[in-house]
Amino acid sequence: MTSLKLKITVSALALCLASTAVSAEDLRFTVWTGNEAHLNMLKGIADGFEATHDGVTVTFETIPAGDYIQKLTFQLAGGNPPDLGWMFEDSMPAFVAANVVAPLTATLEGTDGYDLADFSEPAMGLWKKDDEIYGVPFSTSPFMIYYNKDMFDAAGLEDPLALAEKGEWTMAKFREVSMALTKPGERVWGFEFKDGQGYDTRIMHAVMPAIRANGGDAWANGECGFDKPEAVEAIQTLHDMVFVDKSIVPPGEQGDYFSGASAMTINQISRASKMPDAGFNWGIAPLPSGPGGESPVIGQAGLVVFSKSQHVDLAKDFIAWMTNKENVAVMAQFFPPARASVLDSDAFTQANKLIPAEQMKNVAAAIKNGKVLPSHQKAPQILAAQKPRFDALWRADADVNASIGAICDAIKPQL
Amino acid sequence: MARASRAPWLTLKRREALEAWLFVSPTLAGFLVFFLGPLIAVVIYSMSEWNLLSGEQIFVGLANFHDALTVNPDFWHVIRNSVIFAIGLVPMNMALALTLAIALSRPRKGVVFFRTVFFAPVITSAVAWAIVWKFLLQGEGGTVNQLLSVVGIDGPNWLREPDWAMAAVIVTRVIKMVGLNMILYIAALQSIPRDYEEAARLEGASGWQVFRMVTWPLLAPTTLIIMVITSIGSFKVFDHIYLMTGGGPENGTLVLAFYIYEQAFEFFNVGYASALAMIMFVIVLALTIVQLILRQKGAT
Repeated sequence: MTSLKLKITVSALALCLASTAVSAEDLRFTVWTGNEAHLNMLKGIADGFEATHDGVTVTFETIPAGDYIQKLTFQLAGGNPPDLGWMFEDSMPAFVAANVVAPLTATLEGTDGYDLADFSEPAMGLWKKDDEIYGVPFSTSPFMIYYNKDMFDAAGLEDPLALAEKGEWTMAKFREVSMALTKPGERVWGFEFKDGQGYDTRIMHAVMPAIRANGGDAWANGECGFDKPEAVEAIQTLHDMVFVDKSIVPPGEQGDYFSGASAMTINQISRASKMPDAGFNWGIAPLPSGPGGESPVIGQAGLVVFSKSQHVDLAKDFIAWMTNKENVAVMAQFFPPARASVLDSDAFTQANKLIPAEQMKNVAAAIKNGKVLPSHQKAPQILAAQKPRFDALWRADADVNASIGAICDAIKPQL
Repeated sequence: MARASRAPWLTLKRREALEAWLFVSPTLAGFLVFFLGPLIAVVIYSMSEWNLLSGEQIFVGLANFHDALTVNPDFWHVIRNSVIFAIGLVPMNMALALTLAIALSRPRKGVVFFRTVFFAPVITSAVAWAIVWKFLLQGEGGTVNQLLSVVGIDGPNWLREPDWAMAAVIVTRVIKMVGLNMILYIAALQSIPRDYEEAARLEGASGWQVFRMVTWPLLAPTTLIIMVITSIGSFKVFDHIYLMTGGGPENGTLVLAFYIYEQAFEFFNVGYASALAMIMFVIVLALTIVQLILRQKGAT
């Protein structure tokens, strides 16, 4: 009798487990946001997918941005891969090269009404390899100039937005107003690099806008671009602004834009969330143009499916769902989209409550015309190799040409 | 009620041995799983080229060691930095700890307050410590340089010039950690019987002679322990460098533990990082052995 009971119980349990394994599929989705509003929005999108896919659940797992790539890599190496996740732009080439992200083109092309051509071409460049799509950008955020309108008004200067509308917002003008707004005795500077980290973790964000405006690039096709005349001239200008004009917050000093110590800075529109606490009138404007024309610089994040996932096809379907027109419009409130149809819509220009619609139009234009920061399969090694040479560059007595030569020598083996 | 008969193989000796093993087994299991296992794994990893991301793992023998010791120019630069950090930190830390301990070992008014003040940085968050010091050590606007300018000194841009950055991280590290060694020295000083000092005084010894001939020799075992743990700690320093300078400027503060972290967690070269970790292990082991030998020579 006991033996019979035992057999029945074991059989019932096995049946339950087997049926669970067949019907329930949980997609584990790693993200680096812990923001409640972001997560609620993502869950709302997942609810729609779950409603049409019986037994499927999507779980969002937050890993802080600073640890994201490390923990993700260890999960992949440890045989515990998430099904899909967010991906940083500079990490993508290494993930593609290591064959750990799955190709998506067939799924996206095969999804009814997806309209792959709606994604702006420059925005997709980083997420493709040999015409195969490995990721879909969900946030395509251009770098914009944030300016302290009160400081411009007090100095009797036209602000960058007004200058941009007149077509006069150039690198030369940028240098001129930066100098005019600098007050050495009061520790007020004209410009601060992104988050005050332009000499440390944000070197590329510091130098690339000026280099691109001058028609140059950091590297391309395995060649170093820092030592080309366009880039050298741009870096020399920045160096002069830091050490001759003293209009950019120098290395080793803190001159936070958000607390009023600098008149301008460069950042993405997500930083607008800090502005209500800043206590001054402000605006955003395009990056200054130069001989290279208008050269918006874009920072991106994308969605990928991990090829070691147990539910690769389902995860691909979820990416197609998440990045359809409707859901991209929903995400536009936090993450600037790469879909032209959403960029052109009022839904986008009115999505950000802190930034007026006419300024958001500049954001939309920058996304359409912008170019992502240079990336590379060995980006971490390149950044580490160039960092000490940039340290040597950012000294008052530095020989700019020689320092740039040293930067190229350091990164050439990695390129 | 009859007692259950004992299995014939379970002799008293075996039973005692079994009990002993059961008692130590939790610790032993922890040691094997969390210490010995990883240690052996590091030795194996160090002989492989393993890209964590792609999962490719190739046995390369001693190639990682060969590359580090003879090919990679950064390695010797990193070793040089680690040695400078240790040479700068260990004597300064020990001298300051001993001075503070001598000043604060006797029960005087306010002594507890000062002990607390000097020990507080030890338990302060490393992150908070680094943020405050980065703020104080700014170029022209930093408090340190403003204080120096009062006495006519034009202070350097501390964290942006390689040599000064190394000096700055050493000094701020000493200030943060000196409290720990101070407490060890205070405990040692308080355990020295007062009779020895009184006897020396009766013989006419001066304060310096009492310290030189009585206190210092009796502190030798503590000094050795402090020297060993401070040296090891200085070679393993990571958080302080990571937070204060990130190894910069110009790799001026790139020390071995930080370099290992960079190789493993930023470049995902686990094999190479493991080889570097083995080299660090050997250096620390050698340091400890040398200090123990010196101690034994001193004792004889």
